[in-house]
Amino acid sequence: MQKSVTLKEPYPPGDFAIWLVIYVELITFGLMFLGYAYSRHADVALFNKSQLLLNQTSGFIDTLILISGSYFIVKAVNLVKTAKGKQMIVEANQKASKWMLASILFGCLFLVNKILEFSDIFGQGISLDTNKFFMFYLLLTMFHFMHVTLGTIILFNIFRRTKASAYSAEDSRGIETGAVYWHLVDVLWIVLFPLIYIIR
Amino acid sequence: MKKTVEIVWIVLIVLTIFAYLLGKLHLASGFMVGVLLFTTLIKGQLVIDYFMGMKNVSWGYRLIPTIWLFVIISSIAASYYL
Repeated sequence: MQKSVTLKEPYPPGDFAIWLVIYVELITFGLMFLGYAYSRHADVALFNKSQLLLNQTSGFIDTLILISGSYFIVKAVNLVKTAKGKQMIVEANQKASKWMLASILFGCLFLVNKILEFSDIFGQGISLDTNKFFMFYLLLTMFHFMHVTLGTIILFNIFRRTKASAYSAEDSRGIETGAVYWHLVDVLWIVLFPLIYIIR
Repeated sequence: MKKTVEIVWIVLIVLTIFAYLLGKLHLASGFMVGVLLFTTLIKGQLVIDYFMGMKNVSWGYRLIPTIWLFVIISSIAASYYL
């Protein structure tokens, strides 16, 4: 009987430097998540009352957008990672560019949706010093918004490189680096959404 | 043909709809918060393993985001229930 053995890669995908950034981001957001959770523990009534002013549907749409954007990027990365030979590299990059364009559009959709949500919140006269719940809500979501903005710019640069057929099985480090950054942004939102919008 | 990534995407979407419905139906409290946090743990791990590609990476590197996720979700649960 044949048994297939999959060898583990010694290092994670992407550039080593992006992983240092990812570890720092995980610690930073992790501390903010815990700050929110334990502040809520100290004043559950205030947090539950304030949470009613948030738009859960907007947070839900944001989650679907980020998850789908991540999926599109995985499709693009998988295409170029298996591309060998000039013709195949050109074709794979052309297909990958379409997936990248879709992920950029979804990144922009997230940003537009968030701007609408923020304008609604500010329209209600809410600001950072309204109370502790809104301080955490605005700090976390705006900090995350900045990461999505940077991620979308990175995706746009990757899109331009796919248009130039720059990636292949031998050279996929750049697209993998941008991809893992986007997936980080996705993981952070996956924790943020239930924590701030849903749990009561 | 392997459709692992498609299946992961669909599971993520379904679990997100589940979380949203818990919120909309005002069920996201008490015991269901534990269920919600468990599904969040699964979602995060799926993204780490299959989207980030950590499933095929040596354990040392794979464990870092996994431990982060477990510690954060466990701490949120502790702050809720204790």
